[in-house]
Amino acid sequence: VTQPPIDAATFGKLVEMTGGDLEFVDELVDTYLQDGASQIAALEAGAAAGDIDALVRPAHSLKSSSLNLGALVVGELARGLEEAARTGDASDAADQVRAIADAFAAARTSLANERGQRTRG
Amino acid sequence: VTARGRTGRTGGRTEIQSERPAGDDAAAGRVLIVDDTPFNRQLLARLLRGLGHDPVEAGDGREALARLRDAEAPAIDVILLDIVMPEMDGYEVLAALRDDPALSHIPVIVISGVDELDSVVRCLEMGAADYLPKTVDPAILKARIASSLARKRLHDAERESIDRQAASNEVLAIMSRSAFDLQVVLDAVVRAAVRLCRADYGVAYLLEGDTYRVAASAGGTGELDDWERHHPIGPGRDSVVGRVALIGEAISLDDVLADREYFATPGQQVAGYRTLLGVPIAQDGSVTGVLALTRNEVRPFGDADRALATGFAEQAAIGIANARLLETIERQRGQLARFLSPQVASLVSSPDGEALLAGHRREITAMFCDLRNFTGFSESAEPEEVLGFLRRYHATVGALVVDHEGTLEHFAGDGIMVFFNDPELQADHAARAVRMAVAIRERFAEIGDEWRRRGHVLQVGIGIATGYATMGRIGFEGRYDYGGVGNAIILASRLSGEAAPGEILIAQRTFAALDGAVPAEDAGERQLKGFSRPLGVFRVATEPAAVEQAEAS
Repeated sequence: VTQPPIDAATFGKLVEMTGGDLEFVDELVDTYLQDGASQIAALEAGAAAGDIDALVRPAHSLKSSSLNLGALVVGELARGLEEAARTGDASDAADQVRAIADAFAAARTSLANERGQRTRG
Repeated sequence: VTARGRTGRTGGRTEIQSERPAGDDAAAGRVLIVDDTPFNRQLLARLLRGLGHDPVEAGDGREALARLRDAEAPAIDVILLDIVMPEMDGYEVLAALRDDPALSHIPVIVISGVDELDSVVRCLEMGAADYLPKTVDPAILKARIASSLARKRLHDAERESIDRQAASNEVLAIMSRSAFDLQVVLDAVVRAAVRLCRADYGVAYLLEGDTYRVAASAGGTGELDDWERHHPIGPGRDSVVGRVALIGEAISLDDVLADREYFATPGQQVAGYRTLLGVPIAQDGSVTGVLALTRNEVRPFGDADRALATGFAEQAAIGIANARLLETIERQRGQLARFLSPQVASLVSSPDGEALLAGHRREITAMFCDLRNFTGFSESAEPEEVLGFLRRYHATVGALVVDHEGTLEHFAGDGIMVFFNDPELQADHAARAVRMAVAIRERFAEIGDEWRRRGHVLQVGIGIATGYATMGRIGFEGRYDYGGVGNAIILASRLSGEAAPGEILIAQRTFAALDGAVPAEDAGERQLKGFSRPLGVFRVATEPAAVEQAEAS
């Protein structure tokens, strides 16, 4: 069973937390995508340079925002990378970063679809 | 501080709301969110705003500390702190806060993932107050913020109370140190009021005649002080000071410019103050002064400020009462001196006076002078003449007593008793007494000549003796005299009786004490009433020239 890129329950809770202010939710999503893209860029740069320490912070940041938004796949992958980078055991860092980038792209598509459906409907 | 104002509580409210959301509402606070992930900051800020708080954001530890140390920015009540951040992480922020006395009291809530409990423990050990799970839960956020905020409020209240207590103690200390120096007290009161009520300028006005004038001020520029000093304010509804004077109660004006009836005086234009508070300095129900405080921005004085200012105004009132008491004592001392000798008058109002009045033994020189054939004069002359003569005689002798710094014991008709060396010590008491006697004799000669022309022969006889006597308060409740009991006093009186007209007789001991300061000759031994054996008596030289010569040498 593959997990969906965006967990509906978590995302629903986020919408609920904002009191159903979808305009604000859109803003949050934009912030997430923008910031997520820069964290992934930082991860890619770190992996390319073989700088394991440089992976911790972007992975950490991406993890927390992803888990709060419902991008659980990205969040879990980022958590795995953060832990690995922390322990210094990140021999497959480049693969992990690639997997995160793919999951993030899927989340982006899913979020765009969600918004598209919402604005059409 | 002239401000025309209709009521104390108008205008400015909405402005204040935006400026100080946390000010009066204990349930709302200003929360600093420190997180490098914009998504998290944005979400937390939104949730906090929904809870009525005022969120402030910082992207890393360095930015957070800069904001916390910015004296211009409104104070932070609670910090939400992420641990993993670029530039300066959560641990470093905690360490910096712990080491900064100005910031160490602000509660910190650490934001942490469930997989980071080790770091939470470390943060709590470093002084963090609490922690929040990274997966945001509005209910938990609400509860944790409320609890930290309550803690902060308690701390603030405690610190404020300590601060106020300290300032109040400071004023009290100044008052006890210089209780009677009104200026010092007023300066201290205004300074403390400005500081504790967070005012920009403060003035104590005191009523002088019909208007209130600046008596002390703090925080103002020279220009402003100058203007206020030259523009006394009368009671009236057109100014805060005038209104306080009119109704005798505290008045606050939230924004002078928003008030329709406000009239911007040059003083206001110089200072640019917007918010005013005036409290009465009251004495026995009347407003004898006004303590006024101003703020240069619209930030109304709260109930706590009003209570504080009222307390300070009461201290100013005590200062004024003390100063008045001192004036009264001084005036009474002055009035007393017209009845008592100045020495005794100052004794009555001096700290060690009570001990001296209680009685003490001391060597004194007593001088007694009375008139020969005064009884015959008072029988043959008209009563008005007798009184007129006595007034002249008393005035003349009284002035000489003061000149020679003698202590007048009593005037009794024609008899006058004066002491030297008590209550004030005078090393040359014998010489003073004799010189005064010589002066009395000379002055009396002039008075005697006048009366001789009117057919009355009046002459003075003087006796002086030196010896130990018990001095102090003599008499009974309701009528006390300052006097003495001792042989020297009786002897002076007997010698005065023994003296021929114009003669000054002095006792052996006085003669010895004179040591030639005033020339005197042996007048033989006399058997005096009340003394078991004859005593040696001396006569002061009659030629004024001889006395003067001796004085000059």
